[in-house]
Amino acid sequence: MTAPAPVAGRPAPWVGRSRPALEGHDIVTGAITYVTDRREEGMLHGHVLRSAVPHARIDAIDVSEALALPGVRAVVTAADVPVNALGPRAVDGPALADAVVRQVGEAIALIAATDATTAQRAADLIRLELTPLPVVDGPAAAAAAAAPQLHASGNVSGNIAFSSGDVEAAIAGAALVLRRSVHTPAQEHVAIETPGGVASWNAEEESVTIWCGSQNPGLHQRKVARALDIPAESVRMIANPVGGAFGSRNDDPMPVFLALLARAAGAPVHVHMTREEVMAAGAKRHPFWTSIDIGFAADGRILGSSVRAVADTGPIITSGPNVMKTSAEMSTGPYGFDVAAFDGTVYYTNNANAGAFRGYGVPQVAFAIENAITEAAHELGLDPAQIRLRNVLDRGDRHSLYRHRTTTSLNVRETLRTAVDHPLWAQRHRWQAEATGPWRRGTGIAVAMKGVGMGSGTGDTARARLSIDDHGQITIWAGPNHTGQSIQTTYGQVAADALGLPIDTIDVRVGDTGAVPESGPTAASRSTYAGGAAVRAACDELVERCRGLGLPLATDAAGVGTKLIELGEAEVNAEFRLPDTDDIGIVPPEQLATFAPHRVYGTCTQVVRVEVNALTGEVRVPELLCVLDCGTPINPAATIGQAEGGILQGLGLAIMEDHRVSEGVPRTTSLENYLVPTIADTPRMHTLFVEGSEDSGPFGAKGMSEVVVVPTPPAITAAIRDAVGVLPQVLPVTPERMLALIEESPCA
Amino acid sequence: MRVNGSPVPTPAPADHGMRLLDYLRDHLALTGAKEGCGMGECGSCTVVIDGRAMTSCLVLVGQVLDAEIRTVEGLAAAGHGPLQEAFVARQAIQCGYCIPGVLNSCAALLDRERDPSDDQICAALDGNLCRCTAYNRFYDAVHDAASARRAGGDA
Repeated sequence: MTAPAPVAGRPAPWVGRSRPALEGHDIVTGAITYVTDRREEGMLHGHVLRSAVPHARIDAIDVSEALALPGVRAVVTAADVPVNALGPRAVDGPALADAVVRQVGEAIALIAATDATTAQRAADLIRLELTPLPVVDGPAAAAAAAAPQLHASGNVSGNIAFSSGDVEAAIAGAALVLRRSVHTPAQEHVAIETPGGVASWNAEEESVTIWCGSQNPGLHQRKVARALDIPAESVRMIANPVGGAFGSRNDDPMPVFLALLARAAGAPVHVHMTREEVMAAGAKRHPFWTSIDIGFAADGRILGSSVRAVADTGPIITSGPNVMKTSAEMSTGPYGFDVAAFDGTVYYTNNANAGAFRGYGVPQVAFAIENAITEAAHELGLDPAQIRLRNVLDRGDRHSLYRHRTTTSLNVRETLRTAVDHPLWAQRHRWQAEATGPWRRGTGIAVAMKGVGMGSGTGDTARARLSIDDHGQITIWAGPNHTGQSIQTTYGQVAADALGLPIDTIDVRVGDTGAVPESGPTAASRSTYAGGAAVRAACDELVERCRGLGLPLATDAAGVGTKLIELGEAEVNAEFRLPDTDDIGIVPPEQLATFAPHRVYGTCTQVVRVEVNALTGEVRVPELLCVLDCGTPINPAATIGQAEGGILQGLGLAIMEDHRVSEGVPRTTSLENYLVPTIADTPRMHTLFVEGSEDSGPFGAKGMSEVVVVPTPPAITAAIRDAVGVLPQVLPVTPERMLALIEESPCA
Repeated sequence: MRVNGSPVPTPAPADHGMRLLDYLRDHLALTGAKEGCGMGECGSCTVVIDGRAMTSCLVLVGQVLDAEIRTVEGLAAAGHGPLQEAFVARQAIQCGYCIPGVLNSCAALLDRERDPSDDQICAALDGNLCRCTAYNRFYDAVHDAASARRAGGDA
């Protein structure tokens, strides 16, 4: 471990010590002002008119009655948006529907009024003339020869295919070949704060300040600037405090809506979406249909695997092809074998838009490969942990699909070994034998790996700015932003140890484009790793500068600050460019960013105990073990908190969450009919770390907050297989589905 | 109506049909109570009304004109400082948006149970959704708070 050891005369290290979130006191007293709590003098209230139909031509929009309603200050439609686009490509979609609506919930008009009720009434007065169009209700409909084309470029949003050899030849003589298809549903993030916030327009400067949650404040700054046709410097995004994200604040158009309303009304405008709006209009986890052909030797070795995936991204591109890129890379799981292939296609449809969601395409393909390995263990008479140990990648091994070099911190084998030794796995037979009544017991195991950062060839970079004042106080502006993980608390720990200064003299600020250098998104498990490394680089440079000048930073920070200010040397800017893999394998160099293989991966093994009610099909999960390979946990209790929260989202995906749409119309419309885990659904959890250190990360840390979602569903289905003898291939495993599987299975 | 131990101006009849959640946030500037769903499913707007934890999005002002209401802003004054401290110290918080509702549900439980069991804590919190944490630390924090209150003799 490179976590610092105590050194005489220096404060005890903060890295590796659990530190409560800095904003904790303000949270528990109610003092914290979330972006939707914000109130401004003279503030108006906004409302979004949304489409109630999945696909229609807009023949006319008449806003005259709405504008005439007393209290209404602005109505904005597509015609009023300077550049009506959410991105540089047509497939990024418009800010407001223009000529056509392609999804239930798509924004058509924005209204600002003196109160929220008036704004809503005005929306009801907008006259829409729509001509219904045929609905593309899924990937099969999108691919049909006569399908309506949702974009000029067609209905294919993206395709990614790669092969490291002839898979069919490789598995031709295999002892076991499995050809299986699985389905994973659309999943809603259910961040408890729905999108919204406040924007304030400065007419003199033609600039706008927006308080709205974002996982990528720099990207949202550029989106707002594009739509309003003003320079990016005229847009300030203040992107926290925000009540959760999990991917939903990557693609969210709300900052654009707020800015358009504030500009049109010439006053601050507040918007807070309802839960029903988010359920219809918010981006989901991509539903996937994934097939796998995989061959095994009699001893369990994987001989080759071919995975094909189809995803539904809804009407606009958002993260679709990038999600599929991640699916491609992780379609071989954490396993090393000789021949692999992947072919994935993302389609446009009139269903709910899908975008980024924690795990980003990995849970979908991992479910296919882990389920296949679970089945292979049973078919070949092998222990489910041993078959995985026989196949896992080791430190620095070549990736099975791209043959690129993985990091030497890769320690998936140790996560498996640790899990196998734990009583939850070791005593599984005894626990199973103690089952009573209709509740059958089983234990499952699954393994996962996911890349950290955007991948090789993408130029992924995080930055930090640091200044010292004449009292020796340090201020650090760093990113990525905080959306609930209190990343600033972790950055403070990195800085305190790197500088050798008391942690309470260090103030870390995130999420404000007016002060924080562009550091990329809170995504791809990169915040601690990349943002922390940039903070460390800034601190190291200050320490180095002081050493060069002979200034005693650790013992006289105030004096040193005073001197550095005199010299004009009190500010440091630093960046961390995430390292590419040092051997790109068989990926064509000119296509490196297309496939973006990772150097650094976090890995995770989970063991799950499940009870299945053979009479009702109910599945409950009493206990779960998570073993993490995340390098140095900088704030261990915060890391465990991230792990457990991610696991519960994986559990929801496995047994209850399913955002359902039929003929383009959402059927899960609120928290009354879309169920997420409550405290009563939550297993007792144990999270363990394996020893490890990532050389390129701050004090040896690497990312982990997505990989934890990935093993939970296949570990649960493996446990169900162990309990009742059937292996579900469709998620979520609702009681209805479970009961049908039990009843259809002759040996269950 | 009394809020956090003090009388508040009697709501105007025109406001009697307003949701208590909006009244607290917009008229009394008590923004600790949060809206997460507007239909009593998520529990973020939970406040304590006459000793019972209730979702303030489903209560109208006219129903609570004579009630004693406690919000997250009034927890410390009501002797629940240890509960607040335990949630911070146990790192039972991530984004924090659900926490005011969670704390009010816990406080109502602690006001009637000196030493709640895990089952009682689970029952008290099964109407509060948290999407960041996995709830387990809520048990630890409530047990810590109960111990502190018993030790302090104010329970």
